[in-house]
Amino acid sequence: MDDRLAAQLRLLPDYLAQHVVLSAAALALGVAIALPLALLAARRPAVRWPVMAAASLVQTIPGLALLALFYPLLLGISALTAQAFGFAVPALGFLPALLALALYSMLPILRNGVAGLTGLDPAVLEAADGVGMTKRQRLLRVELPLAAPVVMAGIRTAAVWTIGTATLATPVGQTSLGNFIFSGLQTENWIAVLVGCIAAALLALVVDQLLGLIEWGAARRDPVRILAGLAVLIAGTLAALSPLLASGRTTYVIGAKNFSEQFILSDLIGSRLEKAGFAVAHKDGLGSAVIFQALAAGDIDVYVDYTGTLWENVIGRHDVPPRDAMLRETTRWMAANKGVTVLGALGFENAYALAMKADRARALGVRTIADLAPHAPDLRLGADLEFLSRPEWAALKAAYGLNFKATQSYNPTFMYRALDSGAVDVISAFSSDGRIAADRLAVLGDPKGALPSYDAVVLLSPRRARDQALRTALAPLLGAIPVELMRQANLMVDRANDKRSPHDAAEFLAAHLGR
Amino acid sequence: MAQPPLIEVDAVGKSFPRGGAALRDVSLAIGEGEFVALVGTSGAGKTTLLKTINRLVEPDRGRVVVGGEDVARLDPAVLRRRIGYVFQGIGLFPHMTVGENIGVTPRLLGWPKARIAQRVAELLALVDLPADHAGRLPDALSGGQRQRVGVARALAAGPKIMLMDEPFGALDPVTRDSLGTAYRTLHERLGLTTLMVTHDVQEAVLLAGRIVVLAGGRLIADGTPQALLADSRNPAVAALMAMPRRQAERVQALLANGEERHDG
Repeated sequence: MDDRLAAQLRLLPDYLAQHVVLSAAALALGVAIALPLALLAARRPAVRWPVMAAASLVQTIPGLALLALFYPLLLGISALTAQAFGFAVPALGFLPALLALALYSMLPILRNGVAGLTGLDPAVLEAADGVGMTKRQRLLRVELPLAAPVVMAGIRTAAVWTIGTATLATPVGQTSLGNFIFSGLQTENWIAVLVGCIAAALLALVVDQLLGLIEWGAARRDPVRILAGLAVLIAGTLAALSPLLASGRTTYVIGAKNFSEQFILSDLIGSRLEKAGFAVAHKDGLGSAVIFQALAAGDIDVYVDYTGTLWENVIGRHDVPPRDAMLRETTRWMAANKGVTVLGALGFENAYALAMKADRARALGVRTIADLAPHAPDLRLGADLEFLSRPEWAALKAAYGLNFKATQSYNPTFMYRALDSGAVDVISAFSSDGRIAADRLAVLGDPKGALPSYDAVVLLSPRRARDQALRTALAPLLGAIPVELMRQANLMVDRANDKRSPHDAAEFLAAHLGR
Repeated sequence: MAQPPLIEVDAVGKSFPRGGAALRDVSLAIGEGEFVALVGTSGAGKTTLLKTINRLVEPDRGRVVVGGEDVARLDPAVLRRRIGYVFQGIGLFPHMTVGENIGVTPRLLGWPKARIAQRVAELLALVDLPADHAGRLPDALSGGQRQRVGVARALAAGPKIMLMDEPFGALDPVTRDSLGTAYRTLHERLGLTTLMVTHDVQEAVLLAGRIVVLAGGRLIADGTPQALLADSRNPAVAALMAMPRRQAERVQALLANGEERHDG
């Protein structure tokens, strides 16, 4: 078998298990809420309209946004429960994904439930009253059995939606089959993307068929089919659960943002911890704002961030001190205000920088951002998804009076493609990006010092602050990764040919540490 | 009458704010064993009156007494299990077999299984359906067979009273006639008290021992078929009762005509 495929398939049991658990729990919760609500809505037209409108409204919110919205909501609830009961509800991972998916699953169940219950033959209902059934007997013996096939069809639709949408749980920190898709898209590993898509599609198909069997059984009053479908569904869920029940050691949760360098470093940290005998879980592909909150809340234990990012976005300062001063002050502030430990710098910077194709820059005579400013009105800027909304961009614009003809946001991988194809002229590059050397890009100087430095630092969550074993395991990484080494590792993952996995790049880093 | 009436409707009124046939101060007493037909044009309030007896309709005014008890004081479900109810829509439960449909009220009453099975077999024979139909679903039956099951279901728990709302209205004339006659026989054999709504005066005349005429929510005539056929004081009653007589005369004329032609 192809090595890259084998590497992805090794991840399948864990991802599939988490995906199944999440989807099954969300669907169960959705059914548990939507069915009684459908009953109520079918009985009372006054309830029906607002309930259906609310469910339809939820359906119009893009899945990813709905998942993301639950994070700040749960952070608030988490703070409240921490105050009231001394225990914080986890705001990241399973819970927000569960709630968002359950909400999402409700519309088809509600819609079919109401249709099934209000569409019954009035003569049959009159007969039910006429033979002397109470309201409850009428519901249990006549209305529910007759509406069951329509309700089951709704549950079936909800199941397929839930399984598909659950792939979006990855960015809020819940492992799912979406991990294949998000990390594959990031590192242009199409095999990973395909494995994720096919696995999710197959899972949806199988579940749909099993629920179809139950629906058929419900329509024909065939308990054998209903029980067979249920039995296989339950057995499958339990089988998927087994890998999750296996591990019982202390597990360190390592976070990573949504780009190759983060995947590599998260893998590197993970293997060091595993070698030290710890169990490790990864939450990859977290948003930049979400990830720090998650660390501070203890949802993740360790991750790598950058001083400039923390300085502006977390500490909220807009001055730009020298590199060492910023590291010192960040370390102090984090310990004092958030209980977060800045364990130390890895040795390289991943600073925001503006980059152009080297020959283009030469032709225009541009060497620094100051040189670029007069040409900007004729040029187009390509930025990653965050850059244009970050304070750094505002500072840069103000310092140099930059005013581009057009600005366009891209997924980082596609941003480089856009520069290469000439769709944009200038990009927001990262100084540790391997593609700078590989694509012969010129990084423009920052003579006014408008951009802060971005030292890569290892952060520990408050509850791991005094964890000596963890500190010892990670110590050899500090100061051991120069920017050239990081660029090489990044390039292994990001290049178009002879592409390697983040895991391979992490092994490469581990072998060259400190050189 | 020596004994008190089995069903007593006393000054009952009902109005529907959003349409529906109203009742205005209707009183009616039905003795045990009577077969009463309720006739009248559409919207006269026949169905409304019938349904006040098993509380499918709650009257605004007046009261209904069944077997000496004011029905307003009874649990409607308990009341309905004592009264057979058959209506034009039939309303067989499509997810239950014929046997389960027939046995539904005994099951609600908590009869033991063996007794229910025995009762279902008896009733199938009573309404002239083959015993093997017990295991079929209602979908597999013809319209006439379905209403036989409807009648059997209404009789299952051994009610003394049968309320029938145009029970054979949706059937073809031949089936309708044979089912009507068959039911009349059951009524006699089982000693039932029957109140049957029909818009077919001929059916009323042929089956019932007493006809009650409603118009605009009021009771306008009440008597034996012969008495009402002979009565010409109330024009509305006369018009209603004229129809079967006219039809009978025309049929007779046709028959006589045919004989003449045959002779010629």
